[in-house]
Amino acid sequence: MALSENERWLLSFYRVSEISGAQFFGRMARVTKNEDIIVDMTKHFADESAHAWYWTQCIQQLGGKPMLLKNTYQEQYFQISGIPANIMEILAITQIFERRVLDQYNEHSRLPGIQPLIRETLSRIMKDEAWHLQWIKEALRAMGPEYGTQTIKDTLDRYTEIDNRVYKTTMDEFGDRLVAQGSVNSFEESAHV
Amino acid sequence: MSESKINIREQLAEVLGLRVDHLQGQASLSDLVQESFMLVELVIQMQEAFGVSLTQKDLQDMKTVDDLTMVIANKLEALEYADG
Repeated sequence: MALSENERWLLSFYRVSEISGAQFFGRMARVTKNEDIIVDMTKHFADESAHAWYWTQCIQQLGGKPMLLKNTYQEQYFQISGIPANIMEILAITQIFERRVLDQYNEHSRLPGIQPLIRETLSRIMKDEAWHLQWIKEALRAMGPEYGTQTIKDTLDRYTEIDNRVYKTTMDEFGDRLVAQGSVNSFEESAHV
Repeated sequence: MSESKINIREQLAEVLGLRVDHLQGQASLSDLVQESFMLVELVIQMQEAFGVSLTQKDLQDMKTVDDLTMVIANKLEALEYADG
């Protein structure tokens, strides 16, 4: 079955978000001296790169070509919040973002009538995403003594609020494409953290 | 200029790939680094080079090269003071 334009847009959106994640984590993995996180951060970077390739393959195998999309989800975060100030904030914003991605992928994979290759790609990526959440959660916990547990919690809360705003902006702009596929519930249902 | 400020400027120039004498104190960081991911990388590299941790408040105060130099120099001074 060929891709509809809305499907092609959505898979391209996923692809660009994964590329952006890879670029970001690649930069961080290249410069951090934090020995507690450098290995997991490098694996995370490699996963995001692989995911971008999975989406590219998926689009291609379904007879489409990736769309060139600008202004990624991650860039919208920074436009609203400013850049993260330190490694803890980088992990906190990533934790919130990854949770959003996992929710979206999970919801998408449950759609009736979803193309098997898309479901297979979502499932393959979600395994990695679950690990991303886990390693970052543990890393943030380990940073408690350095940054303060309450500061970390406050940072997560702050980025949760920003994520809700970015998600709302995304839905305002592109919601019709998502709703056309039935791949999104209401904003309130998806915005839980 | 103190030795620590000279070191900070040298490190910043290295990260930016510029000669230190080409680094203008009033140059805007957002002009020097226009892409947000690169700016995050710069901020992390500077922190890791000097063993300090920045906050959102620090970032708000860091608009120029001189601002960044001052913020990190103050952090280093505070660390030295805390270490006795």
